[in-house]
Amino acid sequence: MDKRRLTRILARADRRDLASLSADIRKMHRPVIVKAPEKTLVMVKMREPVKQSLFYLGEVLVCEASVELDGARGSAVLMGDDAEKTLDMAIIDAAINKGVFDGADRLLALEKEQEDRLMRENALHLKTMVNFESMDREAPNDLNAFKKA
Amino acid sequence: MAYAAVSGGREAIEESIKLLEYYKSGTDKDIETEAVENKLSLLVDRVMSEAGLYAKTYAALALKQCEGAPEEAVFLLRAYRSTLARNYYTRPADTENMRIVRRISAAFKDISGGQILGATYDYTHRLIRFDIDREHPAALQRHMRELLAAQKPEKLAPCPRVSDELKKEGLIDNCSQSDEAPHDVTVHMTKFPATRSARLQTLSRADSGFISGLAYSALRGFGQVHPTVGELRCGYVELCVPYLFDENESICIGEILITEAECFNDAGDRDCLKLAVGYGAVFGRNENKAIAMAVIDRELDAGGRYPAQNEEFVLMHGDSLEMNGFISHLKLPHYVTFQSKLDAVRKSRGPKDV
Repeated sequence: MDKRRLTRILARADRRDLASLSADIRKMHRPVIVKAPEKTLVMVKMREPVKQSLFYLGEVLVCEASVELDGARGSAVLMGDDAEKTLDMAIIDAAINKGVFDGADRLLALEKEQEDRLMRENALHLKTMVNFESMDREAPNDLNAFKKA
Repeated sequence: MAYAAVSGGREAIEESIKLLEYYKSGTDKDIETEAVENKLSLLVDRVMSEAGLYAKTYAALALKQCEGAPEEAVFLLRAYRSTLARNYYTRPADTENMRIVRRISAAFKDISGGQILGATYDYTHRLIRFDIDREHPAALQRHMRELLAAQKPEKLAPCPRVSDELKKEGLIDNCSQSDEAPHDVTVHMTKFPATRSARLQTLSRADSGFISGLAYSALRGFGQVHPTVGELRCGYVELCVPYLFDENESICIGEILITEAECFNDAGDRDCLKLAVGYGAVFGRNENKAIAMAVIDRELDAGGRYPAQNEEFVLMHGDSLEMNGFISHLKLPHYVTFQSKLDAVRKSRGPKDV
């Protein structure tokens, strides 16, 4: 599992789920805090579609932390100010980097739950999919019709 | 006129600050920050956008602290933001693949991926619902959870930008990708002519009322008159930063809700062979601001003699903190300079006029 997918699951997860995974790691290992959870800012870079150039949309409040676990490093950056969740994320990351994390199945289950919830949310939004009927017969209101014209 | 330094007044000022609490004490009920964050979310979004800081809980807290005044909440968030270091920059956020919650086009009825109305007040009757006063928040939450659980999971179809289709047809310029580092208006003063990145960042964090008014002026005739909303989309965008121990890997730090707008206009080319596009993007659900930004973006590209087409006028007067700070300074003691002005008027009137 690549880091992006891993951190997406962890970021979306409830803090209690991560606390439980982290507690399991701490039963067998003793992580050392390298950088205690601290608030910092992330600047959001965007690409705009008109000139395809980059610009800054604004900043996001995040919490960051890093740890060491039996010689392996782990880090986390998470939106918001949840210091404990960020630290738990860093510990899980370190355990994965060390190759001693045995909660992979739990992560996959969390991912499935998260995707299921998002797809149910999608369903609510897709109910508002609209198909307007134009009352002006001459209105060129279809992208495909527009292309043919 | 310049304001003058004064001393004294400490006790009165302390009592004045205490009095602010008195003004919030007319009820024994509290507004929980979580409730502000979730039930006044459009106001929270506006404050985050104008502060240039995406921090929902803190924006809600700021609003609670200042009796709901957006400009004071923006001030609080900006002040708080100035105490923090900025340790990261995201990879360019991929808004094309955002998790869409609303997407419409006023240019075409049928667009690839479809038009999704999402949650909008556009079609509501603007009548006060007096029953909301007796709303049961727990029951509402329970009902919505049950509704969500009853849904059949669905995937969203890809929603390519409407403008991409027109680019393929050659009706809109298809510019090549530029990786030039953006100007950051929070770090460097904007110089004129401003770069495109400085313009977009400034407009995105501008006061909603200011840029809505400017865009309105352009629509009423003090500008290019009537653009068409090619696409308005609102959705969640995943944010990624480089992984600390391997720059080639990215980590996801969460997702933010943003609104984007693209407005189509006459390009002003001699043979009328093309369309031009204005772009707007803002934190949260704030579509009028995003549309207004897109209108002004195009007005500034076009240039001209109207206020909305004057880059310095637009970019220097729309920052909530600066505009309200400057207006607020008028309340400071101007005793010396006003006295001098008064003396000058008295002198001009002469003794017979006294």
